[in-house]
This record gives sequence, C-alpha cells and structure tokens, in this order.
Amino acid sequence: MSVSIRSEETTYPNIFMPRPAEIVHARQDTAMEKHFTLKMMDGEPMIFEPGQMLEVSVFGFGEIPIGFASSPTRTQSFDIVVRKVGRVSGAVTALERGQTLYVRGPLGHGFPMDKLRGQDILVVAGGIGLCPTRSLILYILDRRSEFKNFSLFFGVKSPQEQLFLDDLALWRKSTDVKFYETVDRPDDKWKGNVGVITTLFRKTQIDPGTRVIICGPPIMYKFVIAELDGIGVSRNNIYVDLERRMKCGIGKCGHCQINDEYVCLDGPVFCFKDIEHLEEAFR
Amino acid sequence: MNTKSYFLEETAFDSFVEGMMKATALYAPIAKKHCFVFAPISSPKEVRLDYDVTILPPKKVIFPVHQDLVSFGPGGGASAIRPEPRILFGVHFYDIKAIDMLDLLFRENNKDWNYLAQRENTTIVGSNIQRVSKRAFWGTVGKGVKPHGHDAFITKLPKGYVLEVLTAKGERLLSYGKFESATDAQVTEARKVNEDAMDKCPEKLTHGSHEIAAKVRAAFKSKLWEEFSRTCFSCGTCNIVCPTCYCFDVQDCWNLDQVSGRRTRTWDGCLLEDFAKVSLGAGATENFRDARSQRYRHRLMRKATYLNDKLGGPACVGCGRCSAQCVPDIADPVRIIESIMEG
Repeated sequence: MSVSIRSEETTYPNIFMPRPAEIVHARQDTAMEKHFTLKMMDGEPMIFEPGQMLEVSVFGFGEIPIGFASSPTRTQSFDIVVRKVGRVSGAVTALERGQTLYVRGPLGHGFPMDKLRGQDILVVAGGIGLCPTRSLILYILDRRSEFKNFSLFFGVKSPQEQLFLDDLALWRKSTDVKFYETVDRPDDKWKGNVGVITTLFRKTQIDPGTRVIICGPPIMYKFVIAELDGIGVSRNNIYVDLERRMKCGIGKCGHCQINDEYVCLDGPVFCFKDIEHLEEAFR
Repeated sequence: MNTKSYFLEETAFDSFVEGMMKATALYAPIAKKHCFVFAPISSPKEVRLDYDVTILPPKKVIFPVHQDLVSFGPGGGASAIRPEPRILFGVHFYDIKAIDMLDLLFRENNKDWNYLAQRENTTIVGSNIQRVSKRAFWGTVGKGVKPHGHDAFITKLPKGYVLEVLTAKGERLLSYGKFESATDAQVTEARKVNEDAMDKCPEKLTHGSHEIAAKVRAAFKSKLWEEFSRTCFSCGTCNIVCPTCYCFDVQDCWNLDQVSGRRTRTWDGCLLEDFAKVSLGAGATENFRDARSQRYRHRLMRKATYLNDKLGGPACVGCGRCSAQCVPDIADPVRIIESIMEG
C-alpha cells in the first residue's frame, strides 16, 4: 500500500475554466458568419434554455460571448454562429470539423418560456439577431402545440447576409410559422419585400396580446418598439435580447453594465418594461 | 469569538514584525519616494504605520493587477488558482471596508474563487490612522457601514500598541510577538484614538448616503456631468487607484514557447474609451458609453448609487485617492456630490 506524502491540497472550483467541445459540423454560412455544431467532449451534456449564452474561446486568442443558436429540445449537440469581426472570432471561424473549441456556460437568463407558452408569439430578428432567437424559434417549432400563432420577421441589409438558408427555405413553406422577410438593399434575384424590418408590420396583423421578442442591431429596437406601441402591445409583453461587451459572463468584470444591470447576469434577455427606464439601455 | 485586546511594548514591535515575516509572506505599508505603497516586507524597519494613504489600495494583495485564471497548453487548460498564505498588515479602516465590499461582490451570484481563495488565505490586520491624507473624507462617507472583514486591529499608543484580536486567524498573530493582556485603560485609550481620528478629514460630505444616492441618481440627465468631465483625459486613474473598483479585462497571453500560455485578468477602468465598445463587423463598432461624460457619470453612479442596496451604503470609502491622483483634479467625489446636493 502506498502512502501519499503530499499534504492535502484544497482544490477550488474555477469559474473561468472552460470545457472542450468538438466541432462536429462547420459551415461558412455567409462571407462573415460561420455556423458550428458542437458536442461536449467531457460527457456532460450542455443543458440550457433558449436565449442563454456561452463564452466561446480558442486558447491563446481569448473568449467571446455567443448565444446558443439551437434549441435545447435537440439534445445531441448544440449550435453557435460566429461572425468574424476581430482577433478571437477570427481564430474561432478558422476552425473546422474535428477541431476543439472551449466553452463556458450556459450563462445568463434566456427567454421566459413560462410566460411565452400558450401565447401568440412574434419574433423580430435583424441580421445576426436571428442566431440567438433561432434557439427560441426551433424550440417553438419542436413544441408547436404549446404555442398559439407564431410569426417571425427577419431582416438583413442584403440577400447575401441571410443566414440558415436551409431553415429559411423550410420556414417559407411551413404552416407552423408565418414567416416574413425583408432586405434593405435587394440584388437582381431578390423578389421579396424591400425595406427596413418595420415595413413587415404592414404585411400581417399582429394581435395586441402577442408576446414579442426582439433581437438585432442596437439601432433597431426603438423603431420596432414604436410599431408595437402603435399596435398596442403591452411593454410587459416585449422581450429584448441585448448585445454588450460581456467579457467575463458571470457578472463581475463590469463591461456589459447598463446602469446597474449586468447584461450577462440579469440578461441578455430582458422584459422591456424592466429596463426601459434605464437611460443607457437604448439609443 | 469575543474580542480580546493585547498590549505590545514599543520596543517589541520589530520582533513581532520579524515573527510574522518568518511565518508567512508579509505585506505592509512602506515608503516609496514621497509616497507610500503596500509591498512585501524584507525588514521590520521598512514598515511605516504612520503612512497617510498608499498609492494603490491594498486590494492588490488579494486581487492583483495581473492574475492568471487558467493556464493552457496543447493538451487543454488547467486552473491557475494557487493561493499563498499572506498577512496584510497595517490596513486603514476605509480600505478594510473596501475589501469587505469586494468580498461580497466576488462571492455573490457566481463565486469567483480566483479572488476568494487568496482572500481566505489572507490575514488582515487593520491599523489606526496616524496621519490624514490631504483629500481624505472617510469621516463622513457611508458612516453606517463598519469594517468587519479584518482579523485583528492594531492601534498605536504613545508607549506601544494595542492589538485587538477578532478571529482565530488573528489569534495566531499572538505567537509571533511578546504580547500581554491589555489593561482597561489601554483599551479605552485605543478606542479614543480611533474615534478622535474620525473628525480629522480635510474634506466632508454634508449629507447622508440615502439622500445622496437618491439625488445623484435623479441627476442622471444633469448638465453637470458634461461640465465636470470637460477636462477628463479618460485615463482611468480614478478607477485604478480606487479600493472598490474591481472591473477587469480578460486576455490570453502566449508563453515564449508559443505553444502554452495563460488566460489572465487585468484591472480595467470604466473611464477608458473602449470599455463598453463592441465590434459589429465590417469595421463597424458600437460604443455603449461613447461620450466622456457618460463614462465619467457611470463611475460616480457606481460609487454613490448603483451598489448601495447590496452594500448597505455607497461603494466609496472616502480614501481620497481618486481626488489626489486625478491630473485635471475633476474626480473628487465630494466636489461632485456636493454640487449635486446644492443644485
């Protein structure tokens, strides 16, 4: 029998320690965005809520906050979409199938599913705002009977910026979702709606009792909310998924603060009513 | 445990410091040119309990400027939490209050053992304020919040020191020096020394924390922020010298071998221009606090209002470091708060 001569060490849990995830699928969706399907390598499944997020990293380059782009109803793997904008996202998007990404999460608060079930739902997604909202969209489609009317507005600057082309093709034909799309700047092939995302409100009737989820570039929110005010949607029923510089993801580092709220901890999904009074929340 | 007080003769002080040094790494205030800093001690003669204020707060002993969180190599990552037993000696009460706040903030919601492990391994010994710094206002800020995270407190009397022992960690200090039980007269004298110090600050707030918090929050859209911040350099000095600031950035650094490295956190400051800036792609960016005045306001809101409910008072302890070290001299919380209260 061997006797340990090492003194007993206390091991402290390290909240910054990421877990390895294998890239089981990688596809360049647009010129800037790459779509990854990941599987945890340590055998522990990734259990998350739609709208929650991860810190995604490549050692030697750093971490970035990324929302889940798939639904937790699909348990074998999960998706993220990364736009190449800088050093870390450049290193992430250079990876291919079979390589390893490191992730910490799930982090933050996602969409309030209890308040969305049994209701009419409208998702308004601008650009890569479709990535985190896809976690909710797929969830609703997978559990369609739990929700009433489901509408989806999706807007991008140009047709080349459309993501999830396979999904879009399905949604256009689907009777489970009323799907409306628009582009700001059409090309020769584009036959759909032209204009900013708010022009889609003229295409359909939104019931004032609808629960509305908004995610898009910072400038988009106030225009969509103005439309919803016009329809008479209660600000209690509007949920916004916000972007900020969520460096640590655990409510410590301070970068993502809106006044006294930490987006990474209290959000990234907020009820609009809860934060509309915060001066730093919207432009 | 009940507080117990002990007396140390003036002549026995150096051997007490030596005893602590031999037992564990000892950090204490020392002179650096015309200022003071907390630093590891190599001789008892270096210790300057008569300091007024240190350049950086003693939080750096627990929450260092640069700290490795995770180390990495080709095989993956490994935790870098490796606390070292330390004694942090000679901390003024306002800096103890600040450490109490950090303890709470790193513990709440998600426990950050990168901070808490070193905190658990640190014995904190407070000391009375023998000299008052030029911009101090600790006598009038957050008066309802008392320091509580220290293990012992030492007070200088004319002929020696009274050491008040507050925890088991503090009790261990007794074995390092020749202590005797303090007399009632000595305990009373020490208490009076600390009480008398409270009136000696050159700067004073004239209103209570609740009143200040409400009025400062209500002044969010005031023109004052723009006026005050007109000469701000956005240098972040006010953040870096603040004992209650704890914002940080996380960056990966390669080792020289270029195959291994560290994920490291470094103090950051909300006054710095790119603190809240994100990239949107294709060269576009969004800075959520673009204007200098917004960043300037955020710091003061954070000190005077945002954290008050959690902390039981303001996230400012009145050390005066930001006031003294701001080059254009616009960071002084007393001046900002007093103008809002008068307005």
